[in-house]
Amino acid sequence: FYHMDLYGSKDRFDIFPEELSGRGDRSLGDMRRESALSSKKVQRPQEVGYDLEKEVAELAKMYGLDEDREKEIEFLGGHLEKVESRRPPAHTEKAGSQGSIYNTSKSSSSVEDPSQSTKQQGLPDEASQGENQSKGRADDEAESNIWSKGGLSSGGMSDEWNSQAVSEEEEEEEEEAADVFCSTCKIPIRAFDKLFGEHKDHEVAQLPSALESEKEEIHKNMCKLEEQIAQMENVASHLEEIFITVEENFGRQEQNFEVHYNDAVQVLAQKYEEQLEALGEEKRQKLEALYEQLVSCGKHLDTCKELTDETQELFLENDKAEFMKVKSFNYIIFSPYNYRLEEFLRKEVDLELSTLPDFEERVIDISEVEQLMNSINAIPAPCAPVINPQAPSAATGTSLRVCWGLFSDDTVECYQLCYKPVSNERHSDEQAEHTLKVKETYCTITDLLPNTQYEFWVSALNASGISPPSERAVYVTAPSPPTIKTKKIRSCENAALVCWESRDLNPVDSYTVELSKLTDEENDDIITESIVGIPNCEVLIHLQPTQKYRVCVRAQNLGGSSERSEPVLIHTTGTCFYLNEDTAHPLLAILDDGFTISCDELENPECDLPVYDNSFTRCIAILGSLIPFPGKHYWEVEVEEDTEYRTGVAFENTPRHGHLGANNSSWCMRHIITPSRHKYEFLHSGMTPDIRITIPPRRIGILLDYENCRLSFFNADLAQHLHTFKSHFQHYVHPCFALETPGILRIHTGITTPPWTAL
Amino acid sequence: MALKQVSSNKCFEGFQKVFEHDSAELKCKMKFGIYLPPKAETGKCPVLYWLSGLTCTEQNFITKAGFQQAAAEHGLIVVAPDTSPRGCNIEGEDESWDFGTGAGFYVDATEDPWKTNYRMYSYIKDELPKLINANFPTDPERMSIFGHSMGGHGALILALKNPGKYKSVSAFAPICNPIQCQWGKKALGGYLGPDASKWEAYDATQLVKSYSGSRLDILIDQGKDDQFLSAGQLLPDNFIAACTERKIPVVFRLQQAGYDHSYFFIASFINDHIKHHAKYLNA
Repeated sequence: FYHMDLYGSKDRFDIFPEELSGRGDRSLGDMRRESALSSKKVQRPQEVGYDLEKEVAELAKMYGLDEDREKEIEFLGGHLEKVESRRPPAHTEKAGSQGSIYNTSKSSSSVEDPSQSTKQQGLPDEASQGENQSKGRADDEAESNIWSKGGLSSGGMSDEWNSQAVSEEEEEEEEEAADVFCSTCKIPIRAFDKLFGEHKDHEVAQLPSALESEKEEIHKNMCKLEEQIAQMENVASHLEEIFITVEENFGRQEQNFEVHYNDAVQVLAQKYEEQLEALGEEKRQKLEALYEQLVSCGKHLDTCKELTDETQELFLENDKAEFMKVKSFNYIIFSPYNYRLEEFLRKEVDLELSTLPDFEERVIDISEVEQLMNSINAIPAPCAPVINPQAPSAATGTSLRVCWGLFSDDTVECYQLCYKPVSNERHSDEQAEHTLKVKETYCTITDLLPNTQYEFWVSALNASGISPPSERAVYVTAPSPPTIKTKKIRSCENAALVCWESRDLNPVDSYTVELSKLTDEENDDIITESIVGIPNCEVLIHLQPTQKYRVCVRAQNLGGSSERSEPVLIHTTGTCFYLNEDTAHPLLAILDDGFTISCDELENPECDLPVYDNSFTRCIAILGSLIPFPGKHYWEVEVEEDTEYRTGVAFENTPRHGHLGANNSSWCMRHIITPSRHKYEFLHSGMTPDIRITIPPRRIGILLDYENCRLSFFNADLAQHLHTFKSHFQHYVHPCFALETPGILRIHTGITTPPWTAL
Repeated sequence: MALKQVSSNKCFEGFQKVFEHDSAELKCKMKFGIYLPPKAETGKCPVLYWLSGLTCTEQNFITKAGFQQAAAEHGLIVVAPDTSPRGCNIEGEDESWDFGTGAGFYVDATEDPWKTNYRMYSYIKDELPKLINANFPTDPERMSIFGHSMGGHGALILALKNPGKYKSVSAFAPICNPIQCQWGKKALGGYLGPDASKWEAYDATQLVKSYSGSRLDILIDQGKDDQFLSAGQLLPDNFIAACTERKIPVVFRLQQAGYDHSYFFIASFINDHIKHHAKYLNA
């Protein structure tokens, strides 16, 4: 079978039935007979040499054959002689051809001798070979077809082959003086034939040109053959590998068989011993019982005989009286004989066999053996696989890619992957275990919970069974993308404070903030900065003024990084803060825009409004949440002319029960309306300078300048400076707003600090 | 219009100088103080005119107010002229401290014998700026004015009578409503005649009522313990009321108890005023 693969086509194989011993020879079979390998060439002269030595004896032997046979050989020999005569001795084709002939002869055995004679007789004819060379070559091709046919119909068909050869021989005799080539018939012909013979209508060519084209053809074929040699060599080396693999596999299977059969034999031997023992025991018991019965039987017999003798004795007593006396009642009663007889007769003889001769039916249990036998052909159950620890980037928020491997080269049909969420709670049993069958040594499990630990273990399965489970490996899914609290973003010209919340229950390791500076150009998405390893849910980012930034957050855990959060846009045109609702007095309302505060009434009749821990209780006020960043912050407050208000800044912990500006933790401008005029106070610790302002500001600009230790108020519409507090703020302050009469205050943030605030 | 340097002292990297010149308007020799900030050595600077109060010469402000540092910082040329013509030998000019010499009141007199020389309004408005612009590296487009007491009155009326001429105006304890106070009545009556209606042209409170033009941002500081405030010479409330009504932006700061009418008071708040003017002059 091995060879079949190599040769593919059957005819070549059949032609060289005896050359299959070595690889060098095998490759020969690949060749067409027009050419031959050098190995063959080498082989041939050796054979010839050998043949010549024996030539005389062989010739004699040849002549010793019967008439028909001789004639056949003669024909064949003649034909071969002619073939030989048309070829130069060194011509490769000749060697190949001869080799073929030789081999075929050998296989058919009947043409062996003629081939010898051909060689012998062919040598003197060399002189005439030159001129006939081309013709011979054409012939040769024609012949080779015949040889092939001969080969196809197997080596044994020499008769048919001979007859063909004979007819060809006759044909060839006519063509001896050929000088042109008939393209139609593919044979050299005499020019005369072209004019008058059967080739009259055929296309002819001059012999030299025909020769050239044939040579080219041959060269092409040579190339093809060389290619095939290379190909075959590859195949052969591949086969060698397969050969080794087969050896290994079969070796292993042999071992496997040995182990299993040994097991089975042992089990059988054990069974045999057990059964034999049980059988012996039963036999002994039965024999014992039978012996006992036999003994008692013997005793009975003795008694019986004794009584018979006594009875006989009695019977022989002639004295009737004596007899009767004996038979008398008293006698009967008191005679020991009578008593014994009575007794004996009364006693039933137990003729039942105490035990059955046949043995108990025993079920020979060979199921174990059967099982063993069955398992012989099967492969052993695999060993436990080894589950890999979690690889980086193996996790997304909802999926995990789990990998495992086998230590041994067990045959595995599939794996059984189990997992469940890791839980510290006692009801962990309630957590469903999931089982999957997987063909590969990896699996991507989807639909998982984000930022959750899962335990994985895997078993290997094949027809023989299931392996023990692997160790349990804990994998963790990536977190969910955090949610940026868009309403809680604080920023200024040089920084932003972004905070977010995790969407996962379990804590994550850290967060990464990604920052892209947006330009008018297209490549907006280029991340200009990443801040990694943020432990909390907020970060202060330093930015450049008057830019637009897109900010995203990712959560990070051992499993990897979450998707990006929804991005937020931050403009560093000016300071942006938000109102801290927790601090709002119950009567103070924030409208939907988030920056308009209103107060409808100063007193609530019900007085049971909810008051939060952090809210102002006396002053109807609210604090903003300003970014804790040094530098300048500017915002504006739009007021109605008749609204009384306080606005300014305060420490975060400014007393909630007092009025803004009445303590040393707040600084604010106050507007009150007196009967005569609008009164403006600039309050800190309850003190105010006496300042008269002729135009009530409608839009108050507030500049907080930490660097220059000042808090300035402006009439923003007029760019009019109203007042400046000079203070080294010990802590960061927050904007504050309070209404003292019903009305509204509109707060404007994100405003570029106007240049006129500079002085 | 030849300038004669009287003195020159380096001050905060600039120079505080005093010049003397012959005034065509006043027909006498006039002195003025000028502070040239370091910036003036390399470029043109805005000019801030200071008008002093009664009895003052060009010396009071430049020696007492301590404005030079702020002026140097903001690159302002500060010009401090005298308060009246001097040495004109007009009869009665030295009789009282609140009329005549040292009390020009920044008006152009119409009455004899004052009308020839006492033309302080025109001097401040036209001649002095022309002189300054011709001799110093100034930006003629950028000028402001401020003053103290009578000078505060002068600054206010100059600003109010010449909308757009001055970028800003401020005053320390100005005489806001001279037609209503003793000082004003005496001076205006003396220079302009008994017809009180003529006085109104030099009364800030009256001028505000008819002011229209480019926006002014007026800063006024007033000491709470200013004896002339309580004496009813200054009357800022009238001016504020008029400004409130006319929507003229004023920030009037009544400074803490203890501040009086002196240059100590001025020195305390001079920086705020320099900043106030610098904000508009350097905008």
